[in-house]
Amino acid sequence: MAAPDSKRPTYATEAIPSDVKTGMFLGNPTLDSLVSCVIAMNAEMWSMRRRMKVMEAVMAKKGVTTDLIEKYVPSAAEKVAWEQDRDRFVSLTLGALADQGFRDFSTDFPKR
Amino acid sequence: MHRRELLGLAAGSALVAHTLQGDIAQAQEYFSTISVPGAAAGKAGPVTGSKGPLHRGTDGRLLRMGSLDLESQQDFTLGFRQMHARQIRVAANNAFQRLLEAEGIDPATPMSVEQVRELVAKDPAINFGVKCWLSNQQITWKTLRDYYHQNADYYLAEMEAADKSGPGALVLSPAMTIPDYARHEIHIQPGGYVGDPFAGHIYHYGTNSFYISQYGHNEQDEIHRSMAGQMPIPADGKVKRILDMGCGVGQLTVALKERFPDAEVWGIDVGGPMVRYSHMRAARMGIGANFAQQLAEDTGYPDNHFDIVTSYIMHHEMPADVTRQVIAEAQRVTRPGGVYYPIDFKSGGTRTNPRQMYSRWWDHRWNNEVWSLEYHSMSLTDEVAQRGFTQVQNATAALPGFGVRHFVRTA
Repeated sequence: MAAPDSKRPTYATEAIPSDVKTGMFLGNPTLDSLVSCVIAMNAEMWSMRRRMKVMEAVMAKKGVTTDLIEKYVPSAAEKVAWEQDRDRFVSLTLGALADQGFRDFSTDFPKR
Repeated sequence: MHRRELLGLAAGSALVAHTLQGDIAQAQEYFSTISVPGAAAGKAGPVTGSKGPLHRGTDGRLLRMGSLDLESQQDFTLGFRQMHARQIRVAANNAFQRLLEAEGIDPATPMSVEQVRELVAKDPAINFGVKCWLSNQQITWKTLRDYYHQNADYYLAEMEAADKSGPGALVLSPAMTIPDYARHEIHIQPGGYVGDPFAGHIYHYGTNSFYISQYGHNEQDEIHRSMAGQMPIPADGKVKRILDMGCGVGQLTVALKERFPDAEVWGIDVGGPMVRYSHMRAARMGIGANFAQQLAEDTGYPDNHFDIVTSYIMHHEMPADVTRQVIAEAQRVTRPGGVYYPIDFKSGGTRTNPRQMYSRWWDHRWNNEVWSLEYHSMSLTDEVAQRGFTQVQNATAALPGFGVRHFVRTA
């Protein structure tokens, strides 16, 4: 286990590591990895949402209320920019759903 | 009031009540004496010129985590645990049920762990619940560990300062040989109890979510305080000394000291980082519990020394032969007429219904509860009864669903 970056005494000793990362639970290790990624991403997403709640609460105390945020109307330019970003986001994160693989890994180039 | 005067007071009820109100000024005064490179001397609040965290105040007796993001990540993993218990685990159990039906197996049929392992191999979908749970647990540990390692010098300095403070004592044994059985990463916590300098911090904040589905919140040590409240006392009413074996981060130890403020209370644990954290936390709360890095099977205390000896969820994390040594040690250090009250799971035996055995298997193998199957293979109650203790009949469990083991040391 990597020691933290400090010269102070730690009173720690060598542990015997678990092998949880080698476990294959779903019949295919890729599926296991994807599950881990999905849950981790959701942890980050919630973290961001919670920070936004804090920001809105702090801003509300300064007069920038949630109501102002809810009722905000983006300008025409903002709308265009936001939609472009939305489309970029959706394409990047979910675009692969449109890929429907049918060639087995071991097949050669198709006839041209 | 100067910090050292404050912490030098006995843990009277007024001080405890004051502390439990979450006195931010007290916490900041405590932190202000820590010397960290780059920080202005004697200045409270955020540490400048270093990677030091913010002081975010307290939530009752819980010091708030050092960053909003870390707190939110832990909030997520707690929420996911709840959802997992209510939905994902139910779906996985339904898949298990379908498999049993397809195989023509009665759900009540006692099965061995080998039989269950063979059974669940037929449907990987059953393991989906386990995979989700483990992934969430890994996030719990990783986010905590990364945070404390990123701020290592700050938190190590904080512990160094606390090591020398009171009101309780801290005894560390860096030369002690840590037995292999205690070096495993139980609960897949990186470094386990002995291998990470912040094992105590990581364990404390990480396990707050452990109770949520079955017992509710524990951020204020609700569960440990409840157990301490139900701790039986010797028939003669004399409680001068209490020993909490395998004390972890000292939540039960501290709760016992709060209940018995005039008693000398000791918490021992094999992990140096664990007892350091326990001591620091107790000192921060102004509670005079003592902590020592020590093996439960070789405590070093005199014969007949304690009026109450207890432990909480320790025995299922050690081999059966060590459990027997610990019981023998408990018998030695408990005075005649004293109470021995080890709190742990019911001993389940080597065969149980398929679903329960499946849970037990994956908890043992993949949650790295390395010794739990050995624990279930013996009867802790019988082992204690064979070693100089008399079992009290009609006793109650300190925690619902746990084994009832109230014993009195015979003369």
